[in-house]
Amino acid sequence: MSTDQITLEIIQNSLQAAADEMFAAMRKTAMSSIIYEVLDMGTGITDATGRIASSGAGIPAFIGVLDKSVQYIVQKFGDDIQAGDVFITNDPWHGGVTHLNDLVLAMPVFSNGQLIAWAANIAHNSDVGGMAPGSLSGEATEIFQEGLRLPAVKLIREGVTDQAVMDIITTNSRMPDFLKGDVWAAIASVRIGAKRLEALSQKYGNSVFTAAIDNFMEFGEATAKAEIKKLPKGCFELSEEQDDGRIFNIKVTINDEEFIVDLRDNPDQDAGPTNTSRDGTIVCAQMVFKSLTDPNTPANDGSFRPLKVLTREGSVFHAQEPAAIGFYFETEVRVYDLIWRCLAPHIKERLPAGHFSSICGTFIGGTHPETGRQYTIIEPQIGGWGAWDGRDGNPCIFSGFHGETYNTPAEISEARNGLFVDRMELNTAPGGEGEYMGGRGLILEYRIRTKNGFLTAGYTRSKIKPWSLEGGEEGSGNFVEVIKTDGTTETYSFVSGLSLTTDDVVRVITSSGAGYGDPKKRDPEAIKTDIQNGLLTEERAKEIYY
Amino acid sequence: MSKVTRRVATDVGGTFTDLVSFESSDEGMKIITAKTDTTPPNFEQGVLNVLEKGGVQPEDVDFMAHGTTVVINALTERKGVTVGLITTEGFRDTLEIARGNRPDFFNLHYEKPLPFVPRHLRAELPGRMTYLGQERTPQDLSGLKEILDYFRSQHVQAIAVSLLHAYANTSHESDLVGAIRDEWPEVSVVASHQITREWREYERSNTTVLSAYVQPVAAKYLNNLDEALREQGLKQSPYIMQSNCGVDSLQATSAVPITMVESGPASGFWGAAELGKMIGEPNILALDIGGTTAKCSLIEGGEVRIMTDYWIERSRKSAGYPIMVPVVDLVEIGNGGGSIAWVDDFGKLHVGPQSAGALPGPAAYGKGGTDATTTDANLLLGRINKDFFCGGAIDADMQSAETSLTQVGEKLGVSAVDAARGIVRIANNNMINALKLVSLNRGHDTRDFTLLAFGGGGSMHAVALAEELQMKKVIVPAAASVFSAFGMMMSDLRRDYFFTQLADLTEGAATVIEGVFAEAETQALETFSAEGVQASSISFIRYGKFRYQNQEHTTEVLLEGTVTDAVLDGIAEDFRVTYEKEYTYRLDAPVEMVGIHLVARAEVGKLVIEPAPLGSEDATPAVKATRSVDYALQGIHEAVIYNGELLTPGMRFTGPAIIEDTGSTTVVHPENHVHVDAYRNLHITLEASS
Repeated sequence: MSTDQITLEIIQNSLQAAADEMFAAMRKTAMSSIIYEVLDMGTGITDATGRIASSGAGIPAFIGVLDKSVQYIVQKFGDDIQAGDVFITNDPWHGGVTHLNDLVLAMPVFSNGQLIAWAANIAHNSDVGGMAPGSLSGEATEIFQEGLRLPAVKLIREGVTDQAVMDIITTNSRMPDFLKGDVWAAIASVRIGAKRLEALSQKYGNSVFTAAIDNFMEFGEATAKAEIKKLPKGCFELSEEQDDGRIFNIKVTINDEEFIVDLRDNPDQDAGPTNTSRDGTIVCAQMVFKSLTDPNTPANDGSFRPLKVLTREGSVFHAQEPAAIGFYFETEVRVYDLIWRCLAPHIKERLPAGHFSSICGTFIGGTHPETGRQYTIIEPQIGGWGAWDGRDGNPCIFSGFHGETYNTPAEISEARNGLFVDRMELNTAPGGEGEYMGGRGLILEYRIRTKNGFLTAGYTRSKIKPWSLEGGEEGSGNFVEVIKTDGTTETYSFVSGLSLTTDDVVRVITSSGAGYGDPKKRDPEAIKTDIQNGLLTEERAKEIYY
Repeated sequence: MSKVTRRVATDVGGTFTDLVSFESSDEGMKIITAKTDTTPPNFEQGVLNVLEKGGVQPEDVDFMAHGTTVVINALTERKGVTVGLITTEGFRDTLEIARGNRPDFFNLHYEKPLPFVPRHLRAELPGRMTYLGQERTPQDLSGLKEILDYFRSQHVQAIAVSLLHAYANTSHESDLVGAIRDEWPEVSVVASHQITREWREYERSNTTVLSAYVQPVAAKYLNNLDEALREQGLKQSPYIMQSNCGVDSLQATSAVPITMVESGPASGFWGAAELGKMIGEPNILALDIGGTTAKCSLIEGGEVRIMTDYWIERSRKSAGYPIMVPVVDLVEIGNGGGSIAWVDDFGKLHVGPQSAGALPGPAAYGKGGTDATTTDANLLLGRINKDFFCGGAIDADMQSAETSLTQVGEKLGVSAVDAARGIVRIANNNMINALKLVSLNRGHDTRDFTLLAFGGGGSMHAVALAEELQMKKVIVPAAASVFSAFGMMMSDLRRDYFFTQLADLTEGAATVIEGVFAEAETQALETFSAEGVQASSISFIRYGKFRYQNQEHTTEVLLEGTVTDAVLDGIAEDFRVTYEKEYTYRLDAPVEMVGIHLVARAEVGKLVIEPAPLGSEDATPAVKATRSVDYALQGIHEAVIYNGELLTPGMRFTGPAIIEDTGSTTVVHPENHVHVDAYRNLHITLEASS
């Protein structure tokens, strides 16, 4: 049947509204600050076969995840998918994509007995078992040490909770109350989405509803293809040294129809937890591709159709079971930045200079001195972004991996975690200068107030700094310091389970973004303003700008 | 002759200054409305002009309420003063770091909003409080003089003070403000605790900075207004409309003007709540459609919902700026009568958020506008009368309207009429999604609510929206186009106090909870008493903000009577019920309180409107004509056109119909029943949906 374009658009707008509504519901009900404050979560709607149709706010790195999960569930369960079911998975070899902390929930949507869509979400849960509190450990060598593996199972059958599954999940967590609260938040969220989608399909009819989704994807594909035509054509290559000395290689081929990211020539998978699944690598390529081709409209399956990603099984970007993958995000952000850096010199108008480009995942735990309860901080950090032709970079925003993500206010952190935040300020260390200057990174100091605390952290772009464009300066680098009461200072980029005690200070230091253009060309007025604002010293100005 | 009481409301908008005056006496009520041009920068002149035009003598006025957009305009146009910020050592950059979010997350050229105070004007002082309100490090003011000398050299005109944990203990902030006043008496200074007692240092600091930024501008405005009105004989200073649906004294507003930021929409939604109470409709979905935006809010049990989670300039494209003051809970979208319809590169039709504004305005204004707007679409479809456009004030340029719509149609491959239908449907759908956000999204079933539509465009779209949301009834208030001024007249003197206070709901909690209410109530009573308000005329409403332990976001629960340990379980259960309604599930986890919300109000002689006797049901005396009207999905019908000014209490008729007033057009769909109530409000019953 032919359906008018306006009806299709109304359905598409309503899909977006439903995904947003799912996001809002989850945010307001979650128990863990990593979900409600950091918003380390995503919501999405797929068609019956699991192709992404619409996604809520949240973080870009989660948008390409949910379709892969639903596709796995559809393939695994076939006909055994009923109205009222809710599925759960977290394992990269069973429809999960990222790491075991990220629980994906998916609910099929039926209208007049026909499966028409899925409502799904993903969120980082504080603890899913495993060898270390928070489930993430730099010491892990196989996935079994990183928590309970959920191989895509039914958590709810036709509206009835499978208590056995729920009990297994909560019993395996060090923070069962948090886990239960967060899982229920996720259930409420998919249920709200499913309800809205069903009403929509009832109103317009299943065939019109489905046609609207198909049309939306065709639109996404047409947009992407039109933009590819405007990109420079050819084969672009880059080799980049990493903080740990490994070399990552990439080749990007752009022609009129396709955008091919070749990552086959890369090191074997790691013995530790910094591997990523092939799906995870694809998500990173999708993020850069979307930013390059059409950053302004919501992503759907069609947006990514011209993209091809080549990986080698057994490599760090395509890990084989049972590799550890807990710190997958640091590898993902590296591959994301690798593609960006490979293309930036050729597409400067679409790609700024390098940003601090690390999740800077920081995990601090211990005992709250007032409540006596255990606290766990799990947070990504904010840092400086790179400059581009005509504008200085942004100071202190989240990395390209995160998006609608919020830092934790010092006032809330002090109450919730029972430590002191001694300072939270811009990092004015030299770095990132240029005709246009990179944005400033962060200095954040946590003063520990009880014994038996611990610190785990995983930062990259520590030794190999954010890369500049057109002669600008590199960024200043990410690292973490621990200042002991005797005044000694230890510096780390990767550290696991380091003991902390009363009055130790953990100082998080994130990088400035890189500069763009020759510093000698910087507007003298801008240099004066930087000095007045204390972002630049007279000495450094003489060294760099004059 | 009986005593006459005159109540007057004036509302200064960007383009027009409105007046509504009610004169009540034993002989009945006389209502006067008038409109004149707004007169920047001497806004008080426009107020005097509109009073004169309406024939109102200031000396005869018993009560005057005043609403103004001066604060929001100063913010959006960046026309405030140079502000210096003093904050806690280690936190000068809080204002610039903000929350670090990137809402436009695929856009690598995202531009983070710039702070309102540059780094060199953000100073620090040593001294720390803890989250429990205990002093960790004493405040050291020895560096203050140097800071103030620098501020003077930089021509700072207002100082914002925002210290860590000042919500829990105000003494460092108070001491600092005292020291600044001693040192520099003439500078404008405001501290965060004077505005809010809630945690989150970025939101509180930004709120304080924005208040300081507009304070000298707003105080000058209010002072000029007061002097001008007093010179003309006004006996008592006007009350100033606030964002929390109340009015506040001119003096209090001058000190902390940021509370006015959303006063325009607030007065309309308050009017909706009060009107609902008058006509026995306590559950209302209120919709205000103007030229540029549509705003909606939900009223349950006659109560508006007040929150402190308000942001300006926030969108999918920008993080915006938080303003942590009590603001009526509303959703605003860029869809109004002047919203421009456009087709993107891929043939998709959009409406708004760009607006044609008042100049050039819709194409049909004939003032050079070539973009098709929602208004042009409504004209072409016959929903707006081309021969009575803007109440007959403008000759509709149908040629331009049709040309603009043809251009949209060509891009879509359809006729101008189909383009117009598409525009109306897309605009309606945008509004439906906004209405869902304040209703279904929060666990409210729209079928339990009545849609009350006002503003210039509200009644044009209301019936279509109500049908889609399966609502049974639409109410269009009398004088829908000046409804905000009506709301102002119905307002109480009202202040909302939000205090952060953590408490587990276990034995002993009642003392903590009563303690924080006592602190808030004392503050309220002192403030009112300083303004000469009798303690006996003040009433309080208490809310607690609760959550399951470890959650962050809270749900507000009404607390009735004194809180004792014996009622804590009942309070927890009330929370669980409210929570389940909104989020569909309950947990057995412990419940904790995070803060309180105290509403303090005192009546300031608000308006009481008497119903008129109902007359004949026959509405034919109000019939103007019939004409062909395109109802989009419901087809084209010959509709009866009524003159809204001739509709009298008791009249009844059935759609398809159009009701034309000077400021608005009401579209009545086929088979809708309309009746005019004793206050001349229109009640439209949707039979099709029941």
